[in-house]
Amino acid sequence: MNAQKTNHASFLSRLGDAALPLGIVVALLAIWEAAVHLLQIQPFVLPAPTEIFKELMISGPTVILPQLHVTMAETMAGYLAAIVVAAVLSVLILYSSAFRRGVLPLVVASQTIPIITMAPVLVIWFGYNSLPRIIITAIVAFFPLTIAAVTGLKSLEPHFIDFFRSLNATPAQIFFKLRLPVALPSIFGGLKVAATLAVIGATISEWVGASQGIGYLIAQDTALLNTTRVFASLTVLGIAGMALFGLVGLIERLSMPWIYARPTMAWLRAQRSPQSPAAAVARPRQ
Amino acid sequence: MDGVRLQISGLHCGYMTPDRGLVPAVEGVDLALNRNEFVSIIGPSGCGKSTLFNIIAGLLKPTSGEVALDGKEIVGRPGHVAYMMQRDLLLPWRTILDNVVLGPELAGKPMEPVRNRALALLRRFGLEGYENSYPTALSGGMRQRAALLRTIMCERSVVLLDEPFGALDALTRATMHEWLLGIQREFQQTMILITHDPDEAVYLSDRVYVATPRPMSFAGIVPITLPYDRGRDVTMTPEFADHKRQVLALLRGDKGATDALH
Ligand SMILES: Nc1ncnc2c1ncn2[C@@H]1O[C@H](COP(=O)(O)OP(=O)(O)O)[C@@H](O)[C@H]1O
Ligand SMILES: [Mg+2]
Repeated sequence: MNAQKTNHASFLSRLGDAALPLGIVVALLAIWEAAVHLLQIQPFVLPAPTEIFKELMISGPTVILPQLHVTMAETMAGYLAAIVVAAVLSVLILYSSAFRRGVLPLVVASQTIPIITMAPVLVIWFGYNSLPRIIITAIVAFFPLTIAAVTGLKSLEPHFIDFFRSLNATPAQIFFKLRLPVALPSIFGGLKVAATLAVIGATISEWVGASQGIGYLIAQDTALLNTTRVFASLTVLGIAGMALFGLVGLIERLSMPWIYARPTMAWLRAQRSPQSPAAAVARPRQ
Repeated sequence: MDGVRLQISGLHCGYMTPDRGLVPAVEGVDLALNRNEFVSIIGPSGCGKSTLFNIIAGLLKPTSGEVALDGKEIVGRPGHVAYMMQRDLLLPWRTILDNVVLGPELAGKPMEPVRNRALALLRRFGLEGYENSYPTALSGGMRQRAALLRTIMCERSVVLLDEPFGALDALTRATMHEWLLGIQREFQQTMILITHDPDEAVYLSDRVYVATPRPMSFAGIVPITLPYDRGRDVTMTPEFADHKRQVLALLRGDKGATDALH
């Protein structure tokens, strides 16, 4: 009974958690709407939220969504490529001191270049297709992911390695059954950051040398002073980015039940008849 | 008491430190352990007890000396003894059942019989109903019992226990002593226990090795002549007090007590 009550309370408090940011958004939109009308701001400078919503209804399904589709395809391709690259790099960094000393500084140096300036060059190299944009997306996303993975894989307490060694564990067992699970929270942190960066990377890369995609659409509309549709596109893009972030968060929850299943376990324990450890021990011996 | 299980002779080991060079940690340790015996090593903290266990477990190579298990040299070769380290080191991402079967799993054993055996033993270890819980749901005493079950599940001929009850409150610890003794008798385990608690050492052991401060060697060995089947009441007897007095005297470095033993 008690446990059910607390479960109920936690649901309500979670609803409360969502209500607060939602309320803030609604309030900001209301202020925005009022300001545009009161100050008579031109739509090409700042469109009112209701105008953006109308635009969303008109050109959303026909114009914006097809372009979003292109961008999200690039985002996913670049994101997955970044994950593969980060996995390989982090293992190399972890196990090869030569790689750590020789190549890691170059990887870090590459991150100080504003990669977007490379977009035209990549178009010259790889042609007028989505490949250059996928590459840029991957380059933007792999670095924080690699750093997060390496940090996680190194965060192991040495006692655990000794313990595994005492069981005669192989290096592969130490990696997959020890380092990787320890690193998961950090890796998922990196995956979340990389997800948002991938969306940004794909969109920005479409500003240069692209003929489709939501970034291209935004660039075109900006030039035409169609600010209302720019905002409509940004809204759609924001929702798509949040959806990707949420998807990663969902996978995170499912992959780490030992962290996220705690309330349920507390509930299960409360359901069991009270059983103190001493009582369990004092059971008569057979 | 048939046959020597573990024979340690002339063990020396030191640590290289950046500021003080080679610091000796173990200096001339000899120890012999018979089948089904329970011996304790008691000594001040930092004297080198865990170092000795790390050597026996094959994690650390001594500078000299021999460690033989059932007549076979095992220096520098892990996996031959079951080792419960000073901290319980339960893996937080594994359920209790998955934690306790780790040893056989890493050894590549077929898991079905192993899991069944573990499930059957969970009850004896006071962990019934917790097989699918994560370690965070367990109390300190339960965690130690889970770690001990995991150690026993390795099915090695010698079990090393490094201060298994050091972090528990006195009441839980007393309960655990009785329980551990029951487990050792029931499963016919050959055990070495590290402790800094004289009561624990005397109550559980057939023999108590008293260690000197670092570098570690043995100041003396106290044979415990308490009955094989001993309940908690035995701690109130004069014999128990005598044994404890001997251990404490050796710990203090009292030469007279050592002579009294011979
Ligand atoms: N890896 C190490 N490097 C250097 N010194 C160490 C290392 N491990 C332990 N020592 C030192 O060796 C001594 C014995 O340590 P340890 O065996 O852990 O003691 P105990 O288990 O008896 O408390 C201590 O003084 C400790 O500081
Ligand atoms: Mg120690």
